[in-house]
Amino acid sequence: MKKIRKALAFMTALCIVLSLAACGQPSSENSKAPDPTKGPDPTQQQSEAPSNTAAGEITLWTYPVGNWKDEATVKALTDAFTAETGIKVKVDYLDYTAGDDRVNTALTANNAPDLILEGPERLVANWGANGKMVDLKDMFDDTDMSEINAVNEGIMKACTAPDGAIYEYPLVMTAHCMAVNLNAFKDAGADQYLDLDTHTWTTDDFLLAVDALYKHYNSTVAAVFCLGQGGDQGTRALVNNMYGGTYTNAEHTKYTWNDENNIKALTQLKSMNGIAFDASLDGGKEIAAFYQGTLKMAFCWNIAQQLDPNSAKTGAEKTLSGDDIAFMSFPSQDGTAQLCGGIWGFGIFDNGDAARIEAAKQFIKFMCDSEHTADAVKAANYFAVRTTAEGADLSKIWADDAIMNEYTKLMPFLGDYYQVTTGWAANRTEWWNMLQEVGTGADITEVINAHCDAANAAAG
Amino acid sequence: MKTGNSVRSKVYKAVSVVILIILALLFLFPLYWIVTGAFKPSTDIYALEPKWLPTQWVTSNFDELFNRRSAPLWELAVPFSRWFTPNHEDLYWSVGPTLPAAFRWLINTVFMSVTALILTCVTAAMAGYALAKKRFRGRAIIFALIVCAMALPKQVVLIPLLKEMDKLRLYDSLWAVILPTVGWPFGVFLMKQFSESIPGEILEAARIDGASELKTFSTIVVPMVKPGIGALAIFTFINSWNDYFMQLVMLARGNISTISLGISTLQNDTTVNMGLLMAGAALASIPIIIVFLIFQKYFTQGITMGAVKG
Amino acid sequence: MANSAKPMSRALQRREDVAGYLFMLPSLVFFVGFVIIPMFICILTSLTSSNMHDPGMFGSFVGLENFIKLWQDDVFKKGLLNTFIIVLVSVPTVCAFSLWVSSAIYKLHNVALSAFRCIFYLPVVTGSVAVTVVWRWMYDNYTGILNTALKSAGIIEQNINWLGSESTALACIIVILFTTSVGQPIVLYVSALGNVDQTLVEAAQVDGATDFQVFWKVKWPQMMPTTLYILVITTINSFQCFALIQLLTQGGPNHATDTVMYYIYYTAFKLTEQAGHFGYANAMGVMLAIFIGILSAIQFRLGREK
Repeated sequence: MKKIRKALAFMTALCIVLSLAACGQPSSENSKAPDPTKGPDPTQQQSEAPSNTAAGEITLWTYPVGNWKDEATVKALTDAFTAETGIKVKVDYLDYTAGDDRVNTALTANNAPDLILEGPERLVANWGANGKMVDLKDMFDDTDMSEINAVNEGIMKACTAPDGAIYEYPLVMTAHCMAVNLNAFKDAGADQYLDLDTHTWTTDDFLLAVDALYKHYNSTVAAVFCLGQGGDQGTRALVNNMYGGTYTNAEHTKYTWNDENNIKALTQLKSMNGIAFDASLDGGKEIAAFYQGTLKMAFCWNIAQQLDPNSAKTGAEKTLSGDDIAFMSFPSQDGTAQLCGGIWGFGIFDNGDAARIEAAKQFIKFMCDSEHTADAVKAANYFAVRTTAEGADLSKIWADDAIMNEYTKLMPFLGDYYQVTTGWAANRTEWWNMLQEVGTGADITEVINAHCDAANAAAG
Repeated sequence: MKTGNSVRSKVYKAVSVVILIILALLFLFPLYWIVTGAFKPSTDIYALEPKWLPTQWVTSNFDELFNRRSAPLWELAVPFSRWFTPNHEDLYWSVGPTLPAAFRWLINTVFMSVTALILTCVTAAMAGYALAKKRFRGRAIIFALIVCAMALPKQVVLIPLLKEMDKLRLYDSLWAVILPTVGWPFGVFLMKQFSESIPGEILEAARIDGASELKTFSTIVVPMVKPGIGALAIFTFINSWNDYFMQLVMLARGNISTISLGISTLQNDTTVNMGLLMAGAALASIPIIIVFLIFQKYFTQGITMGAVKG
Repeated sequence: MANSAKPMSRALQRREDVAGYLFMLPSLVFFVGFVIIPMFICILTSLTSSNMHDPGMFGSFVGLENFIKLWQDDVFKKGLLNTFIIVLVSVPTVCAFSLWVSSAIYKLHNVALSAFRCIFYLPVVTGSVAVTVVWRWMYDNYTGILNTALKSAGIIEQNINWLGSESTALACIIVILFTTSVGQPIVLYVSALGNVDQTLVEAAQVDGATDFQVFWKVKWPQMMPTTLYILVITTINSFQCFALIQLLTQGGPNHATDTVMYYIYYTAFKLTEQAGHFGYANAMGVMLAIFIGILSAIQFRLGREK
């Protein structure tokens, strides 16, 4: 026994020593590397902070909202916040595939973060509705409301729960669109169907374009991706807009995506050779295939992608091989689509600690309604949800950016923010499961009815 | 007849060697693709015709992997300090300098696997010996439970385990992954099978000589079941190194992420950067492969001796 | 054991009890704490409508409702079927394949032998998460090497969406699982073959037995313990395919790759709006535990008889 214990102690010691020693060497070189981007001050501040009490430190989890997934970008923002308030922010980064699961496991284990950056479909419709979030109503005065409503009246509506509680403090917004590979369209003679000035097209033009592309390439040119829920706003907007279908009712109480216009759209899509229902792709992998040039259209697109396709840093508006990318509205019968919006902002999980909630509110105020808001918005690569923040004008932050300016042409098409309908998370799984079944050749009417009913049943 | 037979067996042998070589190449392929892919520029990675070698060897994928996230080199928390701090947060007595998070993931994974290995081997060796050689009451029931629970996937007790870890204030720490791994009874089963082969007479003799139980265990039993401990150590180490599920469920913070978890988040990102993924996969697999090749002999010896006893 | 046959004296029995349990103690702490107690809670909660949003451990008692619902749930049944398919396909193929490889390589020159052994072991040490990165690319619908190779060989004309079609997705998962499972069995069989009693083999050969007969009549019985051990670890391995499914197919398409293990996770943390989803997931866990318990008991019985 003694021997074992000795061996055990020895091995533990060895393990610790090894892990320290082995990595101690690179540290001396590497400790310099991450620093130069920032001044020495915020780091100094940080190393002093641990002596503070708990409220001096909060945790933030971000979904990949534009560049809020990029550590260097976020660190610059949080460092500025720490410098001003002395509150340290620990940031962790979620992805859209496993992110929900991780928040849910953390909630189950009573270990939720203080702050989370996401949209109303999670903050309001899911965690807010289940009593996990803090009501932020006291953070909005009339000036705030009017500043936000001046941009779009729908924003605050989306961030507010049916009972009047506000679970999300909005920061940025965008409209989700689709993208086409212009060179491919030109080669196939399909560019005649695109109106690159207004970035709109009709369903008939879209269908003709797909056929022309298919004739030219004799392979799949666009994919209705359905591996999972990632990027499903693209498939929803595509199906809804083709023949004017709806997704929910106007009151956001019931899912209506089994309406006949959607069935017509799915039947049409399914019948086309150029379009595949692909259960091996989700939004992200679709973007990769589009960027790579195998797909000629992407349904999962927005301004952040337009500025940096596939996040590959190989130049705005270009595919890997240098083909031009044009963003387009989704096709509809009259050319005016209802685009799905994204409204991202912060929510606070109620961890039962007033000091931390207070610190989190300070953080929100700093990012969403102060002179720093312009930076926070720019970090996301999206548009501000308010005209001014504490006197700082936000309407012109992208004035010198031609692509952003061009993209504002799509913003008026921003449609109803229906993602706050109850049972949204369950509904999403029903949606992509439905697409998978349609893809494998099941009867469309039957399948869509079954899944839409299931979604409504889950919504209760 | 004799010659016909040997010709036939020679042909068979030649054919089988050829098939083996083809199979070996297939098995080598993923690793080859990871290693070369990690050094390919993105034009090669996304090329429509597969590029067997990088047209140009670049390290940009690794640069990106290392610049993506950073984490403290070490962050030594006072064990179980969450029980005593007012907000149930870890109390750190030392936090190291910042470096690329991928290294931290490796360190975390090594710590996790080695700790699980040590704890499993010690507890399983003792329990296996007791089950095989001690005629205590209740032994049959315990053994039956162990056999039934041996193949249980951890998903079965996912939710209770998660809530238990919350109650123990271990959620979001590496211990939440280590402890259930140690609890999994395969190791006990394996060590029991090994300990069966210890001749009862030797134990008897030791007892007559007046050796204490612990002394008997450490001087007689342990040396005899050493190969078994080796086999179990390898099995545990590789299993916890490759485990993904428990880490996914139990670990939330980036600072205590493991290499499997880290790479999977690269894979799940909104956009998929294949080069980055390959670099991550290379970082995850190369160290353990090197360890494997160094200890290859022990790996094979350990595993081997164990099974024969059955 | 000589002494086990005789009834022990009381004092002796007591000594054995104390010593036995003391040796068991460290292991039992972990086993009871992290397997038995959670399992017990799992059984209890499977009878309730517990869900994520309830603060407590248990919801309200609903009796066997969850289990009844389970047998009406097509996804669960599909998952159960897939779980069995994975185990029933991968365990025998892994055993047969590794037996063949080992018998082909165990007489080779030492260097060649360890080279082959290492190569077949590599996917095991590479790790499933890293391995999926490559396999996803190989199976890719548009640019994957599998489609490219098969097309250039003229075997297929149109790209096959390996992971995206119901008919191939599960097979794809099983193939990956296979490559990450054969390493250990090969090592085991190689040494078992090396340890076969040569005098028996020679005796059989003198009696005019063919190679085939020698193998089945002489070598195979001697390798039985190894085979049983391999059966056990391969079965355990087959239940560990969660990472492959989560990272490659998420159970799709049309639940073609859903296993019970994945569906438990999915129900617990994706279907959080379904009433009583924790209870439901736990009920699945209980069912799975029962099936696996039976499976293990059978395997163990088989082992006993030999």
